Amino acid sequence: MIWRLNVRLSCLLACWLPLAAHAVDVEPGKDPVPSVMWAFYHKQFLAEAPFVFDERVKLLAPPFAEDARQVPLEIDARAFKGHVLKILAWAELNPLPKIVDFQPKAGVLPWLSLRIRIEQATPLRAAVLTDDGLWHVGSTLIDAAGGGCTAPSVVRTQPGWEEHIGEVLGGRYPRGEFSRVRVQVAHPMDNGMVSGIPEFYLNHAQLRGQDGQVLAELELFPAVSENPNLAFDIDAPGPTRLVLRDNSGNEFDAAIP
Amino acid sequence: MRWILLLCLSLSLPALADLDYALKPRLIADDTWLLEGSTDNFAKANGGNIVNTAFIVTEAGVVVIDTGPSRRYGEAMREAIARVTPKPVIQVLITHHHPDHALGNQAFKDVPIGALADTTRLLHEQGDGMAENLYRMVGDWMRGTEVVLPTQVLEPGVLSVGRHDLRLLALTGHTGADLAILDQSTGVLFTGDLVFYQRALTTPNSPGLTAWLADLDTLQALPWTLIVPGHGPVASDAQPFAQMRDYLTWLDQLLRGGAAQGSDMAEMIRSPIPERFAAISLSRYELIRSVSHLYPRYEREQMQRVDSAR
Repeated sequence: MIWRLNVRLSCLLACWLPLAAHAVDVEPGKDPVPSVMWAFYHKQFLAEAPFVFDERVKLLAPPFAEDARQVPLEIDARAFKGHVLKILAWAELNPLPKIVDFQPKAGVLPWLSLRIRIEQATPLRAAVLTDDGLWHVGSTLIDAAGGGCTAPSVVRTQPGWEEHIGEVLGGRYPRGEFSRVRVQVAHPMDNGMVSGIPEFYLNHAQLRGQDGQVLAELELFPAVSENPNLAFDIDAPGPTRLVLRDNSGNEFDAAIP
Repeated sequence: MRWILLLCLSLSLPALADLDYALKPRLIADDTWLLEGSTDNFAKANGGNIVNTAFIVTEAGVVVIDTGPSRRYGEAMREAIARVTPKPVIQVLITHHHPDHALGNQAFKDVPIGALADTTRLLHEQGDGMAENLYRMVGDWMRGTEVVLPTQVLEPGVLSVGRHDLRLLALTGHTGADLAILDQSTGVLFTGDLVFYQRALTTPNSPGLTAWLADLDTLQALPWTLIVPGHGPVASDAQPFAQMRDYLTWLDQLLRGGAAQGSDMAEMIRSPIPERFAAISLSRYELIRSVSHLYPRYEREQMQRVDSAR
């Protein structure tokens, strides 16, 4: 059923999208994953802008979610290094689909890893906007028993968790031409879907280099797991500063030597 | 309308009748019978029969070791025991709380079901969730299965049943509460899931691989003659211990090395698996799961506080 719908959808897309994308005249190609939602998200998140399904955007996740509250996700757009304006990622069948809006600048590779929540088996997407105005869409599928978005918080079961909000663990790991910077931020990332607990999550992060220049801007959404894990590949010299803000206006600051 | 119902019934009844575990007890030592499961994953094709269960026919009655993945399995096990001996089942021993070992308990409600105290606690906490997951994975085989908690707390020491002296060991490596049983009269060592053989080990509740490796030393030093692993074939040599040690050591070093290099989980699950483990069933699948269970601890060891409030 999903397949048939998808075939129909992609026929539909194939028929009229080339018209919409006339400006750069691109053929989006075949959707690599079965999806009933692509047209909707193309409209909602990409404003129906021209796009291609592109294998060069690697979206890497396990085939199934062992823990639906902490699903590792790696977004690799290094094939477009130097041309990436923005990377948008979402989980199509999540109640709150958006994951991250990542804008890498000079000094940061267009690569990001993080952990997310999955409510059910779903297609995952990472749409990469390059400087020619085209969206390159990477896709993958993940299977899940489900419930990652509506499961009760683990953080909130730990006594004294409030004291630890905003604590950041981090490390820098040299990898030849660049260094991997990883952080883990203590934060419950409440998504508002657990009864009686309103939204309370980190919604903004900024990476800064040695002289304070902005290396990357990130908008985070509550599909990001609690105690968010983020990793960046940085080719600017350290130390790297990370400034975080949550939707209650708390600001947190960390420096990775 | 009525004929549609009849049609449905005639189609569905044979399907239900097909859900037969066809358990065939095999004599592996004096009085000792094994019900060997496959080394596959839970699936609708196997009804969750991926586990080894066993029973010992003593003079005083039958001792059952683990009850399998479902009510249907527990009932089939009881019928299989009755085909071998007229003696009653008088004792059940549960090695640990995982669903493939303890969800057949319903068929043994009339018998003392013994387990370590923490096994009962873990089954109480996690049993319903695990049963739900098994319904998802094996389907109709699970029908009517509910968690039945053990009724008896086992302490380490010797439990004598008839002429069989069963040495009970309380270990932790696989789930935090793992019972191993050495039948001192036959030399058969029931390791529970502290030993997997030719099947990748699982780690969802493991307190850590170091604790698990220590348990293997404890087990191997016992005067055993035959090893009954929780999953995989029985062995009369130390090969299962060697394979377990090799795999656990590899996994520990892989995770430690990955964390030291700052690799993320999504990279870790793609790590190459050494050729020598190629024959081990489900190694990639279980690596993906183990990274999810264990890697966060290794990562934190390689990080330090970097926030300005520190």
